[in-house]
Parts: sequence; C-alpha cells; structure tokens
Amino acid sequence: MRYLPLIWSALTRKPARAVLTLLSVTVAFTLFGLMIGLNATFDEVAAKARADRIFTNPRFGGNGMPIAVARQIAAIPGVKVVTAVNVILGYVQDPKNQAVVVMVDDNVPKVFGDWGVTEELWDVVRKDRTGIVMSGLQAARWHKKVGDTFTMISKQMKRADGGTTWTFKVLAIGPDFPQNSNGYILGNYDYIDKARPLADQGKIGEADLLANDPATSTELAARIDRTFANSATPLVTITEKLARAGGDFAGLPIKPITRGIALAGMFMVLFLTGNGIAESVRERFAEFATLKTLGFSDRAVTMLVVLEAALPCVIGAALGVVIAAVLARQIPAMMPPGFGLPLPTMSPVVIAWAAASAFIVALLSAALPILRLTRMDIASALSGRT
Amino acid sequence: MNILRQIWIVSLINFRSIRLRLWRSLVIVVGMACVIGILLSMLSLTEGMLAAFLQTGDPGRALVVSAGSQSEGNSSIARDKARLIMDAPGIAKAPDGSPMADPGINSGVPVVRLDGRRAYNILRGFGPKGIMLRPEFHLVSGRMFRFGTRELIVGYAAKSQFKDMNVGDKVILPDGEWPIVGSFTTGDLLDGQLIGDTETVMKAIRRPAYNSVLVRLSSLNAFDAFKRALTTNPALSVDPIRQSDWYKKISEGFSTFFNVIAYGIAIIMAVGALFGCLNTMYAAVAARGREIATLRALGYSAFPVAMSVILEAAALSVMGALIGAGIAWALYNGVEGSFGSNVFKLTVSAALIGIGVLWAVAVAVLGGLLPSIRAATRPVVEALRAT
Repeated sequence: MRYLPLIWSALTRKPARAVLTLLSVTVAFTLFGLMIGLNATFDEVAAKARADRIFTNPRFGGNGMPIAVARQIAAIPGVKVVTAVNVILGYVQDPKNQAVVVMVDDNVPKVFGDWGVTEELWDVVRKDRTGIVMSGLQAARWHKKVGDTFTMISKQMKRADGGTTWTFKVLAIGPDFPQNSNGYILGNYDYIDKARPLADQGKIGEADLLANDPATSTELAARIDRTFANSATPLVTITEKLARAGGDFAGLPIKPITRGIALAGMFMVLFLTGNGIAESVRERFAEFATLKTLGFSDRAVTMLVVLEAALPCVIGAALGVVIAAVLARQIPAMMPPGFGLPLPTMSPVVIAWAAASAFIVALLSAALPILRLTRMDIASALSGRT
Repeated sequence: MNILRQIWIVSLINFRSIRLRLWRSLVIVVGMACVIGILLSMLSLTEGMLAAFLQTGDPGRALVVSAGSQSEGNSSIARDKARLIMDAPGIAKAPDGSPMADPGINSGVPVVRLDGRRAYNILRGFGPKGIMLRPEFHLVSGRMFRFGTRELIVGYAAKSQFKDMNVGDKVILPDGEWPIVGSFTTGDLLDGQLIGDTETVMKAIRRPAYNSVLVRLSSLNAFDAFKRALTTNPALSVDPIRQSDWYKKISEGFSTFFNVIAYGIAIIMAVGALFGCLNTMYAAVAARGREIATLRALGYSAFPVAMSVILEAAALSVMGALIGAGIAWALYNGVEGSFGSNVFKLTVSAALIGIGVLWAVAVAVLGGLLPSIRAATRPVVEALRAT
C-alpha cells in the first residue's frame, strides 16, 4: 500500500499513455470475456445435460415417422416417459421471417421440466388447446405478449381445409434457457395434428424421452436404435449428455476458435503494455537508481514495476469483463435469427481466467524491464551514462 | 517547395528513424497483424463456403422444390408430379429427345467426423440424367456406381472431414452396407457428399417421393416459360427456381450470420489496436518534437508534417495487416473445412486481403489524426526549447 503514491505518480507521469493503455487493455478483455464467456456457456450446457434424457430422430431424414414409433419406444423396458415432437416450419408475413412452432404432447413437462417447461407453464395449453407458449426471446422477436395472436404461414404444412395460415393465441411467455438459445414456441401436438389433412396426421419428426436409469441410458439409446434398425423407420438415438459433450456448433470446434481469438487479443495488448512499461522504466532509470540508493531492495523495485504494469491490466480486465457482460445481452438483437449461437456468460470461471490472464500479461510485460533494473549499475545510472 | 515534395521528404526522415523507435512501432504492426489475422481467418470460412454454394448453382439449370421449401431435404415431390414437371416447356432435350431432367433424392446419413463427433453427411440420388446434367462431374478414382445396385460414390473431399469415406469403405443404409466404389469431383458442394442411384436409394431408405427435380434449361431465357408452366399448373404446388438463385438464397442466412460474428469480433479488436496506434503515434510525435520543429522553422508547412505522421502510421499498419493476412492465408487458404454437412475449401482471397488492407488504412488514419494535428500545431519555439 505504501508504494501506491509512487505507482500513481509513475502512471500519471504520462496520462495519455496510461489512459490509452487502459482503454486498449479494456477492449482486449471485452473480447476475452465474450470468447471465454461463450466457452463457459457451452460448458454449462454440457454440465447441465442430463444423461437420462435421450433424443431420437429418423436416421435418414425424410418426412418424419409415425407417432406409433413414440408409443413403441415408450414400451421399451427402461424408458420412463416419451414426448412426441413435430414442427411447423413457416414464416410470419414474409418468407424471410422464418418461424418454427414446435408441437409437443402432454408429456413435455415431464421430459423438459428442468428446461423451464414446467407443469404449471404447460397447464395453460392443457386448458386452451389452441394456444401456444413462447419463450421470452421469441416473444421479443415477434413483439408478442400474453393474449396476442400469432399468425404463421406454412406452405409445407397445410391445414385440412387446404389453408396455409396457422393462427395461435399466445397463452404464456416461458423462460429461456441456454440449451435452446433460439428460444421456442410450443404448441399442442394433438390439436395441431388434428387440424391437418387425414393423410398427414399422426406423423412426428422427433421423440424425446427420459430413461429410468441414467447409468444405462447409453445402452438404452443403442437398444432403441437396434429395435428399429430393420423397421420402416430406422432411428438415430443419442443421450443429451453425449450430444452436448463436444462443445460443437454445427461441426465447428468452438473452444479452439474462441481460445485462439482471445489469445490473439491478449498477445496484442501484451505488446502494448510491455512496450509501455519498458519505456516508462527507461525514462525513469535514474529515478530507480535513486530509489536503490535510498535503500530500496531489488524486491521492492521489482514490486513497483510489477504493480505499475498490473494496475492497468487488472482494471482493464475488470472493465472489459463488465462491458462484455453488457454486450452479451445485446447479441440476440444483432444476430440474424435462427442460428442459435448460445450467449456468452460471465461465470466465476471466466472472471478467474480474466484475472489470471491480466496478471500473466502484467508479469510478462514487466519481466524485461525488471531484469534491466536488477542488473543496473547505480553509479552510471545516476550520472545518466546508460 | 511543393507540398507533395515536402510530404515525401518529411516522411522519408520519419521512416529512416523508425529503427530508433522499433519496439514502439511494432505495437502497431503486431496489433494490426492480430486484428487482420483473426478477421481473415474467420472470413475464410464464410468466403469458402459461399464460393462453394455459388459454384454449385448454375443459371442454366433450374431446381424444382415443393412450395415453401427452404432446403432440398425438406422438399417432397411425388412421382406423378415429377413426371408433370419433366414434361414442362423450357427444358433442354437430350440427344434421344428425352428431357434433360433428373428427379433427385437428398437425405441425411449419420457419419462420424475425423475427431469422433457425430454428424450428418448428405446422400444424393442421381438418376440416368444426373451426370449429363452436371458436366462439371468427373470421376477421380474407382468407377461409377451401377444403376439398380446398392453402390455409392463419394466426393473426394468428404474424407477430409468424415471417417470411412474412401473408395472401398462401406456406408450403412437401412438395408445393409453399401460399398463406396468410386470417388468424384464437381468442384463444388457435391465434393463432400455421397451419391447413389436414386431409385435404389429410395427403396433402401423407404422414401415414396423424390426431394426435388433438377432440369437443364433449353436456354438461359427459357426459365420464365418453365416457371410459368409449373406455377400455373393447378396440379402442382411447387417452387421452380434458377439453381444459381437457389444457392444464393440458401447461403444468405449463414453468410450474414458469420459476417456479423467476424466483423463484430474484428471491430472490437480494431478499437483496441486503434488505442495502441494512438499511443504509439503520440509517443512518436513527442520523440520527434525537436526534429519537427526544426523542419517547421526551415519553412516546411504544417500539412506535410501532419501528413507524414499519418503516412507513418499507415505504413506500419498496412505492414501489420499484410503479416496478419499472410498468416491467415498460410494457415487456412485451401484447407478443407466444414460447417454442418457442407464441405468446402477455406479461402483467403485477394479481395479479402484487400479488405484487410483497407481496415489497416482506416485504423491508421483514425489513430494518426490526433497525433498529426498535435505535431503540426505545436508552437515551434516551445518545441525547440523542450528537451
């Protein structure tokens, strides 16, 4: 603490340099926060992924599978509960505004309760079969509130009367969760399915289920695939745990990419701060010599330089992470909808990494100047010969 | 002395003294190298994927999908409808008089990435006209699949992303293992995909309907007549679209998405580099205060002095950008990458490098402006006296 006035006077000696360095470091840590924060979100999703939740889809795409498949899966020993899922792909007003209504059956709160689709939330759809539940993100995207009407056009999924317009009442706004960063619109499978032409009824695109025992769910998934391997609808089944483990975004390895970018930002400021501190020490070489003459030990001088380097790094890191947290909330408004890249979260791990990186940058920046200072010849430094 | 000559002389003096300010100058070079290296590395994905998409679309071909379909996989065309489509006017004729049209299949096949993650690849079905429609198709090794048999051929680039995509490997379909008998190239998205005989594949994956119909237009202008015939036919509910427009349309979403991310990240980094540039140039101006004052005393006007500061920043910044672009190019240009099922070559094109250089100039001008004004307006006498 008693060094503080010394450090302060060193930093304010060239205020422009100090401020610009701080701003640069802040920006680099904003980027750091966004990148490592994105990793943190992927980690959170992977950590929250349940081993006992299993997703199953038709193995070779096509136009879905009969709902009977969901019932057959429900009868397989080890399966606790199955929810049948289908989607209406369409648009709102203009084909550019793609929208998806996910139709799920009454078991959805049992399978996805921990994602926020609770029994209480789903009860509104049980009471009014024509309604939908929107997540906050989707409600914001379509400017809807409870009681509004949501109208969607789907040329691919016609109604029994030949119409392509689907109209739903927004019954509730549900919570968003990082596992589904696009948000969701949930409708009642039975109601929507019955509104379709008879020939198209009873189809689903996906079945999601819970296993009785998380420990054997991988085997259960394999068993489901085996059971249907020679049926009319071969399946591809995967546990949520496995599906989320890779930190994968449509095949892109997110972690190496984000780490690379964050590292490039750090490298950029390392050069800047390193250069700044080297200059600062060079300019005040004689002052340091004076300090040493006064009895300051090498350790004390080292401390001074490290702190001078660390101060802008640590403050910049703190500011940067705060700005990143604010920016992260603006991302959904800036991104084209529909890709669902999860939002960065400034978890304690991210903050710890930012703090550690700030110190590493400070130490690396200070290393060379310190070496010079500890080897200095006091007499020649005082006389200005170096 | 004319202004340009003055700028030249002052800048020359600056550049000759850069050696003395090497480390400080490197801040700009390294900063810009990081910004442009990251920007171009990210854009190489968009650029490469976009190029592959646009390459796949040929304005001389038209694709027919069911009304409202946003992808071939989501489209469905019944067999009798496909026959109606193939009889429409505007389709080129094969030597035997039959229409140059091919109803196709487009299905996902579960595959494993080289690193073990699960993914889907695309399995296409070609009919008898599939290859005639695509003059860009060439076998690379092995042989063509035989119609009516359970055989596949694979795009040569698939093996760069997915396991078991070589000639001789087997792909599991519902009715058993299908051998890969040949490898091909088309120079576009198909280079990552699997192809088999449409009818045999349909039987295997139990598809009653085709996904889409691809036709060769009798001329570039024939599209309107073709489209009119299909859209006015009450028996059909389809969207005919020029194949080049289709790939433009389906690439819009991802290219916007990636551009927002790439430029967003690059803007943040560039702001950081800008502060670094300001810092360096202020220091440079301060260090050369006396020298500048001397020049001013000799009669050099303020503008060339200011200009020389910006030029110095621009030279360092562009140097950094070129280093960054060079690194991005060396690491990623021509490397095979993938997004979802799409396999393509990452591309750092000359146009992208140009964008990088423009960014560098912009940052240098912004970062050099204030220091240059300071250099030009500092009172001469005061600067000469300063130590």
